[in-house]
Amino acid sequence: MPYAMSQADRRPAEVPLVSSRVAAGTEPRVSGGLVSSWELRRRYGEGEAAVDALDGITVTFPARRFAAIMGPSGSGKSTLMHILAGLDQPTSGTVTLDGVEITQLGDRELTELRRDHVGFIFQTFNLLPVLDAEENILLPLSIAGRRVDRDWFDTLVQTVGIADRLSHRPAELSGGQQQRVAVARALISRPSVVFADEPSGNLDSKSTDHVLGLLRQAVDEFEQTVVMVTHDAHAASFADRLLVLADGRIVHDGEAVSTEQTLDLMKALG
Amino acid sequence: MLRLVLRGFLQRKLRVGLTAVAVALGVALMAGTYILTDTINNSFGAIFQTASKGHDVVVTPKQTLGNEVLSQTSPIDEAMLAKVRATPGVAQASGSIFTPGTFLDTRGKRLTTGGAPAFIASTVPPRFESFKPVKGRFPRSSSELAIDEATAKRANLHLGQQMIVAGSAATGRYTIVGITKFGGGESFGGAGAALLVPAEAQRLLGEPGHFDQIDVAASPGITAQQLRARIRLELPSNVDVRTGAQQAKKNTSDLESNLSFLRTFLLVFAYVALVVGAFIIFNTFSITVAQRTREFGLLRTLGGSRVQLMRSVLYEGLMLGVLGAVLGLFAGIGVASALNQLFKSFGADLPNNGTVLQSRTIVVSLLVGIGVTVLAGLPPALRAMRVPPLAAMREGVQIPRRPLPTRKALIVRFVLGVLAVGILIAVGASGAGIALVIVLVLRAARLVVRLRRGEERPARRYRVVPALGHAIGSLVRWRGITGRLAEENSIREPGRTMVTAAALTVGLALVAFVAVLAAGTKATINQAVTRSFAGNLIIENSQSGNNEQGIPAAVAQRLRAVPGIASVTPIAFTVGRAKGSSNNSSITAIDPATFSSVYRIEWKQGSNATLGLLGDTGAVATKGYASSHHLRLGSTITLLTPTDRHTTVKIVGIASDNARLLGDLTISRSLAKSAFGQREDALDFVTYARGASNAQVQPAVDRLLAAAFPQARSRTATQFKADQAGQINTLLTLIYVLLALSVIVSLFGIVNTLILSIYERTRELGMMRAIGTSRRQIRQMIRYESVITALIGGVLGLVIGVVGAVLVTSLTLSDSGFVQAIPVGTLAVLLVVAALAGVIAAQLPARRAARLDMLRAISGE
Repeated sequence: MPYAMSQADRRPAEVPLVSSRVAAGTEPRVSGGLVSSWELRRRYGEGEAAVDALDGITVTFPARRFAAIMGPSGSGKSTLMHILAGLDQPTSGTVTLDGVEITQLGDRELTELRRDHVGFIFQTFNLLPVLDAEENILLPLSIAGRRVDRDWFDTLVQTVGIADRLSHRPAELSGGQQQRVAVARALISRPSVVFADEPSGNLDSKSTDHVLGLLRQAVDEFEQTVVMVTHDAHAASFADRLLVLADGRIVHDGEAVSTEQTLDLMKALG
Repeated sequence: MLRLVLRGFLQRKLRVGLTAVAVALGVALMAGTYILTDTINNSFGAIFQTASKGHDVVVTPKQTLGNEVLSQTSPIDEAMLAKVRATPGVAQASGSIFTPGTFLDTRGKRLTTGGAPAFIASTVPPRFESFKPVKGRFPRSSSELAIDEATAKRANLHLGQQMIVAGSAATGRYTIVGITKFGGGESFGGAGAALLVPAEAQRLLGEPGHFDQIDVAASPGITAQQLRARIRLELPSNVDVRTGAQQAKKNTSDLESNLSFLRTFLLVFAYVALVVGAFIIFNTFSITVAQRTREFGLLRTLGGSRVQLMRSVLYEGLMLGVLGAVLGLFAGIGVASALNQLFKSFGADLPNNGTVLQSRTIVVSLLVGIGVTVLAGLPPALRAMRVPPLAAMREGVQIPRRPLPTRKALIVRFVLGVLAVGILIAVGASGAGIALVIVLVLRAARLVVRLRRGEERPARRYRVVPALGHAIGSLVRWRGITGRLAEENSIREPGRTMVTAAALTVGLALVAFVAVLAAGTKATINQAVTRSFAGNLIIENSQSGNNEQGIPAAVAQRLRAVPGIASVTPIAFTVGRAKGSSNNSSITAIDPATFSSVYRIEWKQGSNATLGLLGDTGAVATKGYASSHHLRLGSTITLLTPTDRHTTVKIVGIASDNARLLGDLTISRSLAKSAFGQREDALDFVTYARGASNAQVQPAVDRLLAAAFPQARSRTATQFKADQAGQINTLLTLIYVLLALSVIVSLFGIVNTLILSIYERTRELGMMRAIGTSRRQIRQMIRYESVITALIGGVLGLVIGVVGAVLVTSLTLSDSGFVQAIPVGTLAVLLVVAALAGVIAAQLPARRAARLDMLRAISGE
């Protein structure tokens, strides 16, 4: 099966920040961006021991793009993603997701927002061990009590390549297979944005390529928006855009580059 | 190591608290039982002390057949009193009456209700008097009365008012001239006492010239012992002569033997609660040992020995046991007063003067509480020993399990079990035997399944729990993903679910067992009354259920004159003791001429005409008694009667009686009076004349009873059956209340298991919240899981209880005509209760699960 990954690795750095499809003529929706933050601050602790995990982050993620956020441990990349996804609240600043200012929302609205507009992929797959693969993929719809679009389900299952494993429980699947189920789960509700938190952190290199290829494909073919946090330069090379955080600030924002270039960049940023 | 345990203890406050409560509740009931019975004992001891003050010697009728036989003619008469008075060294002697009676207001309404007994007492010379007037004075004439303060307060009686007192023979109307207080002011055990002049008390008792007791004071210079010895020589053997101190001691020890029944009864429930608590401790420790596998592995790698690991778990059990037992002991003080209230609400007013906490109570409660906890924690502690050091390095290392038994091992165990049952039943421990039989039946089922499948070792450890889980889960599956996940989660760890559910199973199995037994008993009584009783009315003492209080023999006489009544046949109960036996035989006394017209006897040998042969020497034996005492037609049996005489009767017939009206032996009413001293009747069976309607006759009967015998009341067969059912229901309710404690304990088990499971599933729950599961949905999921677990326990409990009850009754009671009845409604209610228990148990865990810190759950370890 042809995957977009090889293409990504080969893509020269000068290629514009648009996916092939967008470039082919469909109108890009970049007006203000799909997810954006303004002056985000997140402080942990109080007084002298206070730590600013995020120190004034203003960033915009346009639709149908694949962004990678990198940074050393403690740089605030996970905190940023949690706040963008409505999992955590900033100390100050705002986040707008799909036109809604989510920093104003209560728990119930946030829950519904995550349910209907956000997809998640975790480092540890986080499938429910008591459900089989199919039930796990359909979980977001089950939670929302929504009808299953069978065509979309079949398409997803074909794409991620687990059609023959649907009745297996997670314990009977390999790590790569589990993460592919997780990708399908993140996409099943056609969310506005998919957040991926170190999606390749627990995978071998072959599975890593497979799963990241799927994310690439989700952006290119299914018009999804993906924001990925990673510390793996190779994983970041699958994205369109590379953001680097350090000490709660954005220290680099540019097009994604090859693995080697990314590593050099990271080294240069210290 | 101990320090590590202590620290862990403090970190897991909630779990430790919940688990400790599971132990504490059982211990509390146990301690409460001891405290309550000791307190009652002590209170009565004080009462008896007061009552014997001033008495150097006391003469009482000899209680040949135990102290529960009442209403017989006392052998103490004026002549005996004169003999005592004539004995040298007697300063003063007087006869007194102390007998059960009924207090009524002037309109015939009972003043004492419920279980508080009421007594008629005669006034005695001041040195013997235990009562003191608080207001007014003692009665001086036969129309005066002094009433105790408690009754006066309860019934709002005042000096100058009139009230009615009914004794076993007659009734009188009196003016209240005094309000009295017993002894030093301690409560008289909730009992009421009406003081009358001796002649009037005798008249009410129907025994003019007879006394219940002679009180004797010694002259200066003679000791009570010496005087007792002198009087003993003067008096016949049918009375007992004791010193005042001996009498008080005897009264106390009589009471103690009565209380020991109550104590045993209550302790049974305490032990049930403790067993349930043990399940919970076992389960909690099993789960935590499993959860701490990694920690144990680390300790092993750092050089901790297996024994040290085991000890650390055991220390935890020990500390938990100490905590639970101490909590339970303190709670026991509250439980004692709660039990007292409980009995009060069921009509048994027990005296309670100051709580008694004996050192025995403390020692036993602590020992049992700690012992149960440590024992229940032992298997998990042993399992902790098997944690390999490798567990520290890798995630998901499981503690190696012992392999499942092979077929051969199962067969060997089964045979050993059969042998054990044989031995237990042979040595008379049939209770334990029956319990083991149930275990064996389950074992056998497992063996049969195994043999039929031809498996040497089974593929799966658990079958029942997953099957039940899915069956019950299908009830909530329609609720969508929360129901579906609850179903799967509930059987995710079948062993854990099984033990959690088993705690509830124990309580509910007992409830179901008792419910089925009670339903059967009610059905049996209904059927028996319907089949056997051919009359229209039953006259009984209105203190329903109190067989010790009968009705005056004169009732039958007077009723015969009521228009519309064709016949009245009196029935009385007494006891005798067959020569060479140490148990009393129950004896029913009937009127041979009329009995067979109102009551259908199922004759084995003989016919209704046989009753004509009873006379003063004949007896009919019931079938079981005849066979156990080797009695045939014509055999004779010599009985010791309550009057300390021997009488010999000849067996003239053998009958069986499912209604159990007929005792071991049935004799004529006249023999019961002459040889057994039986004064009162227990019941009168009334038959109407042809054409008489109940609407006319029963009111006429009631008018007569109200006017002349206010302690008696009439019941139709339907009312009588309802009364019997009511009594059974009262007992049933009491048992339910006591078993409820076990169910509550098992709730803590469900709470504990859920909390621990939720802790294990932190990451899953975090993920579910992250992808948009609402808090409500999380709560709902936990609630369903809890309900499914509770229902697994409930269904198993009901099945075991019902099957057990049906087995036991059909094995032991089928001969006596026990009618099986399954109380479907009650069982359905029990299932609802189980489900509700699940909902309640889920409250706290569900809230915790919903409040879970999502970020930590998905990002952290």
